[in-house]
Parts: sequence; structure tokens; C-alpha cells
Amino acid sequence: MNSTLILTIVILAGLGLILALLLYFVAQKFKVEEDPRVGKVEECLPGANCGGCGFAGCHDFAVTSCAAPDLSRHYCPVGGDPVMQQVAAILGYKVEAKAPQVAVVRCNGTCTARPRTNTYQGVQSCKAKAWLYAGDTACQFGCLGCGDCVAACKFGALSMDPQTGLPVVDQEKCTACGACTGACPKNLIELRAKGPRGMRMVVVCRNQDKGPVAKKACANACIGCGLCVKTCTHDAIVLENNLAYIDFTKCKLCRECEAVCPAGSIIGVNFPKPLDKEAVKARIAARKAAAAAVKEESK
Amino acid sequence: MKKITFSIGGVHPNDCKLAADRPIEVLPIPETLYVSMAQHLGAPAKPVVSVGDKVKTGQVIAEPGGFISAFVHSPASGTVKSIAPRADLAGRMVPHIEIAVEGDEWAEGIDTSDALIAEIPEDRAMMLERIKNCGVVGLGGATFPTHVKLNPAPGSPAAEALLINGAECEPFLTSDYRLMLESPKPILIGASIMQKILGGPKCYICIEDNKPQAIKVMGEALEELGFSNMVVQPLLKKYPQGGEKQLIQAVMRREVGSGALPISVGAVVQNVSTAFAVYEAVQKNKPLITNVLTVTGDCLPVEKQHNYRFRIGMPLSYIASYAGGIPTEAAKIVSGGPMMGRAIANIEAAAVKGSSSLLYLKESTTRRWTESACIRCGRCSEACPMGLEPFLLNRLYKGGLTDELEKNAVQDCIECGCCLYSCPAGIPLLDNVRQAKLQVMGIIRARAAAAKAAAGQANK
Repeated sequence: MNSTLILTIVILAGLGLILALLLYFVAQKFKVEEDPRVGKVEECLPGANCGGCGFAGCHDFAVTSCAAPDLSRHYCPVGGDPVMQQVAAILGYKVEAKAPQVAVVRCNGTCTARPRTNTYQGVQSCKAKAWLYAGDTACQFGCLGCGDCVAACKFGALSMDPQTGLPVVDQEKCTACGACTGACPKNLIELRAKGPRGMRMVVVCRNQDKGPVAKKACANACIGCGLCVKTCTHDAIVLENNLAYIDFTKCKLCRECEAVCPAGSIIGVNFPKPLDKEAVKARIAARKAAAAAVKEESK
Repeated sequence: MKKITFSIGGVHPNDCKLAADRPIEVLPIPETLYVSMAQHLGAPAKPVVSVGDKVKTGQVIAEPGGFISAFVHSPASGTVKSIAPRADLAGRMVPHIEIAVEGDEWAEGIDTSDALIAEIPEDRAMMLERIKNCGVVGLGGATFPTHVKLNPAPGSPAAEALLINGAECEPFLTSDYRLMLESPKPILIGASIMQKILGGPKCYICIEDNKPQAIKVMGEALEELGFSNMVVQPLLKKYPQGGEKQLIQAVMRREVGSGALPISVGAVVQNVSTAFAVYEAVQKNKPLITNVLTVTGDCLPVEKQHNYRFRIGMPLSYIASYAGGIPTEAAKIVSGGPMMGRAIANIEAAAVKGSSSLLYLKESTTRRWTESACIRCGRCSEACPMGLEPFLLNRLYKGGLTDELEKNAVQDCIECGCCLYSCPAGIPLLDNVRQAKLQVMGIIRARAAAAKAAAGQANK
């Protein structure tokens, strides 16, 4: 009985040793050479695999960034500049700082502002709804309200407001990965610069119909009157297809456009004080009067 | 003749042909018509008139915007009031030409008499040209330009059979049926014209056996006209028999390959209304500005149901009010049949060449079931006429597995709705499969475009 026990141990130990050696040599023979920096880079990355950088997950980002000649095509929107600085340090590249961005929903067609013209019964998915028809209101550009963007967000930064029927972005949680911008079939969500202390001006409308049509469909619609364009002293606003658009790289946050907009479709976010419309309008009038006086004089 | 049908899948919804005994009435022309520039598959047409121009009935007002596109003609005489975007059935903005109607004076060179012209011209090119110039499109639902379909690309196999589709397998619709009863000879002459254009394939007039009257009338008319290479082929009633691939399978016992066109198996399928339009175009030079539409539904009494010959551009609300208004019980108004038709989001939209019905459905008929778990009963796979497995495609779509979806041929789905109709768990199979199909088609198209670009680069 004793000898059986010893024999078993010897055989098993021998077998183990032989297989271990075999595995060792196989591993040596078929070893995959990986850039040691890949692992290091991957460690710095957030690891959410959101695809916001345009690569198939964080590992792919690490592999491609190690192989790339510079980091011009690589930017992790989730980690932002701190992570990119770390990655650049590991790889020995230089990166320029980018302004932090945030997702912005460009529709203010709330349930009260935009009356429903029909009822949708199909699958609760914006994509399916957008394929079928223009939407359950008279505005064919507005939010469909089925929450494809909420489902696409991996960071829990988006939620549907049951009061307005529109998605709301949690600015703290939003990493500007851009997943929601691709999920929205109406292209309503845009990544914009967060702005100093989060302050920014946004045209919260995408309606490209002519004024009367747009206004009939939604009380908050941009009617393309162009008052904001005429008022803006920084050339930051363009009017295209009956719709105003604010270029956030040029906007100086003077809030004059917000004061003059008759449709209320330009909104300033995160400003410490509420807008004093009359004061701003008086300022614009004074400036115009001064300009007119100068013109008179030159004549 | 033996009744036949396609072999895979299919369902048997109640056919509800409530308006079958109502003869076709001609609708009077309203004061204003809105003619859509996107009445056909392919590129939208480009207006050739400007605001203030006087137009006559049948005059060209828009020309094709590409190879796959069609002419559009004025449906009445009057003045062009505006050319502006207007919401279509789905609420999407499409350019429309607004015409203030002043009468019904036809343009020159159009034969408006009722005389039957049975003699078929010999010149194939002339006939094709007329079909093109008269803006004829497939009226079975897809509105594909007919002259493109009748003139297959060089190198494709010769047509062996021309199938005239009178199946009308969708429940409720009776416009094709009424047309077959009331104008059998023009349809047969139109079919004969297409036969000639295609080089003389055998022609089958395919009619489902729930329309025995139509089978009889068409048979008699065929005997009177004495066309030799043409037969009336009765079919067993089964949905979706009117699908191109299903009809080919039923009559010719040939299967159209994945992604291939019917001509690859030597078949051309045309609807009976298209045959009628071809007759009018070739024999009378009459452009396609009218079609037959059924006003029907399960909440309408039979005496309020109608088959109308409408002019394109008539607002649907006008047709509805002429027919006696929208019934209060109607929960959903559908354009097309209840299986494949689309709900109308905007009743002010104008009728187009392919409009086939105004269908009022009760709340109880249109209600969606609450979705419950798939029990793997396999009814959807049994019902699918394309031999797909909708439950699997649904799962793959939810998981986002596009490669697997492509392997499982989601792109072959014809969106007939048999899976959704047969699902006991109320799963929105069609909705999801359609999204999956769109996704995969997008990938296939992108791949083809990339391959083309690569080939172009290699040639340089």
C-alpha cells in the first residue's frame, strides 16, 4: 500500500515536470513580442472602453498610440489632458492641451412648447422612430424623446427629464466621449467647449424650417430672424438654413444675443447671475447710437 | 389551371376585402394640388417650371434627377403657385409644386378618348421612350421607375417570364382588383407591350384565388384579345404572395439569390396597375397622373367604402372628406395595406403615384401587444417567407453583432411583417430586424464603396 502511494506521487510529479518543461519551451517558441509601453499606457487610461477616442477600446488606443509617429490622432476625451500628459510622458511625445468639452443637447422642444400631432406606438427607440417618420410633433428636427442617447452613455451622464421629455446632461459626469452624438438620429447632441467656469452660449434648436413653420411647430424654435447675427460684435454667430449657430471658439459670452433673441432659443448656461435683458438691450442701443453719431460726424 | 403558391413561410391574415364591390369613381379635382418631387424610388425630380407659369394637364413639370428617377407631370391645368417644401405622409419636408387649378385642359398629343387601341407598335425603343417620358413607375408599392426595370443592364440574362402581379395579397386593398374587373383589356395590352419590349418572354397574369371574379374576367378578356403567349395563373391565397421574390418562386419555382435582382433568374415582375399605366403611356401617350386608391377600414360601414381614381397631388384630407370624413373610431390611418403600409402622420400630405389606400383601423386592431419573453416556439421562422430566423436576428441585433447578422442574411429581409404577425409573445421582431437590416446594408454599401475606390486607385 505504501509503495502504491509513493509510485503515484512520483508519476504525478514526473508528469507535472515534463508538462511544465513542454509548456515552457512552447511559450518560448511562440512568444508574442509586445511593446512594453503598451501595458503602461493602458494603465493610465480610464479603462471604460467607450470608444470615444475612435479606437476599439483602451487597449487598441494603447497599441496604436505606441505605433504612431506622434499623438495627433490620439486623444482620450474621457481622461482629458491629465491622462494625455501621462501617455505623452511614457511615449516621449508632446501633446497640446485641449479645452475640456461637454455634450450639449440642441433642442428645447419641451412637451408644453411643442404640441404632439400624433402618437407613436412602435418600438421605443429613436433610431426606429426616425426611420419611420419625422416624429410625433410638427418639428421634424427635434428630439424624439425615446432616449437612445441615455442608453448610449456609459458614464450615466444623461437622463430623460419626464417633465420636458428631453435628455439632460449631467455636466459633472459627462466625459465628452461623444457616444451620444452618434446615437442621436437627429444629430441634436454636440460636443462643445465647456467654457470658462462652465459658462457657454448655445442655440438650443436645430429647426431649419422657415420662421412661421418652425414657430407653429414649436414655441421655442429658432425662426432664423438673424437679429443675433446683427447684434453680435464678435462674428461668432452664423445664420444658415434659417438657423443660427454660435461658434464657441469665437464667443466672448457677452450675452447680447440671448437678450435680443425674440424666440428665446439662445440660452446662456452656468452664468452666476440671471440675464438682465433690459440692461443689455440698453447697452446695445447706446452702442448703436454712438456708432450712428460717428457716422454722422464723418459725413 | 392548377393553383400554386410559394413554398417557404407565409401567413393567412383575414383578407377583409370590404370595398371589393364598390366600382371605381373618378374624384373631382380640388382647387389646389400639391405635386411631390419624390414620388418614385431614387433621386427626386427637378422642377422645370417656375412660379407663375401656366401648365396644362399632362405637361412635364419636373424632369428626372438621376438615372433612377422619373418625370413628373401636371395633374391638372392651371398656374404654378409656388415651389416649396411641404410635409409628406411621414411629416418629412419634400419639395412640392403647388398648382392653382383652373380647369382640366390636356396638353397636345395626348389621346384622352376611351377607345381601346389593341394594336401594339413595333418600335421597341419608341415604346421604352414613351414609358420613360410618361413617368411610369412600379405601382405595386416600391415605385421603381419602370423604364429602368424593362431595360435590364447589358450582360444580364434574357427574360424568360413576365409576371403581371395581380395577387394583391394585402388585406383590405381592392384597387388592383377593381382595375382588373373594370379594365381587363388595357391591362392585358399593357402586359403584351412589356412582353414585346423584353423580347417575348411568356407572360403570366398572377391572381390569388380569393378573387375568382377577376380570374374569370381576365381569362375572358385574354380569350377575346387572342394573345397566345399569355396565361392567367391562379394562385392559392397566402401573404406575402405579391412580393416579387415570392411570386417568382410560386410561378417559376426559381429562387432569386441573396442580393440579386429578379432578372438574374430570368424574371420580370410588374403590377397590374403598372401594366395599365404602360398601356396608357404607349398607346395614348397619357402620362401617369392618376391611380386607383381604396378608402376602407374596419371601422367604416361598407356603403362608406370607396375605390377612387385620384389625380396625383390631391391632399389626402381632401380625399378623406370627399369620402365622408374620417370616422371617429379610427385610431390609426394607414397608407397601404395593414401588413406593410405606413401610418399617416400628416393627413394634409398629397397623394403620390404609388398611393394605394386610406385605411382606417380601430384601436383594437392596431394595438401593440406588451412584449414578453421569447419562448423559442419558432413560429416566426416558420412564417418567414425568406427562410430567415427572426428571433435569432432580434437577439443578434440587441447584442450588436453585425457580422453575425450579415452571416444570417438579415439583408434579405423583405419587411413583410409575417414574423411580427405570428409572434405569440408580442416581440417587435420586424422593428428590430429592420433596424438590423439598415445597419448591415449600411456596412455592405460602405464596403462596396471602399472596394470601388480601391479599384479606382489600382487602375491609376
